Amino acid sequence: MAEVKWIKDLESALSLAKSENRPVLLDFFNPG
Amino acid sequence: MGAVTYPDSKVAQFINSRIIPVQLLHDVQPYASDYNVKWTPTIIILDETGKEHHRIIGFLPPDEFIPALLLGIAKTAFDRDELDGAEADLDRLLKGYPKSSAAPEALYLSGVARFKVGHKPEALKAAFERLKQEYPSSEWAKRAMPYGLL
Repeated sequence: MAEVKWIKDLESALSLAKSENRPVLLDFFNPG
Repeated sequence: MGAVTYPDSKVAQFINSRIIPVQLLHDVQPYASDYNVKWTPTIIILDETGKEHHRIIGFLPPDEFIPALLLGIAKTAFDRDELDGAEADLDRLLKGYPKSSAAPEALYLSGVARFKVGHKPEALKAAFERLKQEYPSSEWAKRAMPYGLL
């Protein structure tokens, strides 16, 4: 079963977005 | 989102294949202030520079979330004048999720993208005619009304 492979820091995500030429999904969440 | 939508296998496969997913606590600084986060869930589609192109606030079920992400990806491409890529994802949205809440905006944006590529007003008029026929009560049908006069 597939799971979302979350990254936990934005700078790493932006760097990966640049190298893979993909946009970023930034999810601000409240764990409750 | 974490209980229903993200665990959905189609959602997870879509995200992992099309977009870089990053998850932050709603109050983590400076990002919560930079992106003016006031409620959760807040989901923002960014380009690689961190510029915002699309925002989703509140819960969406899987069959609404995938087309909402497709719209965000298409808007990112559109804003960067990558019109072929934008059109391709808008077509995917309209063919795969024609009953979704994102579909009327996708149809509007598709007409604009086709106009910007071909410089033919017929693209805008065709978008309006489809909006009038398929989504007559949507706000996007209203926004496209002037194109009916072309």
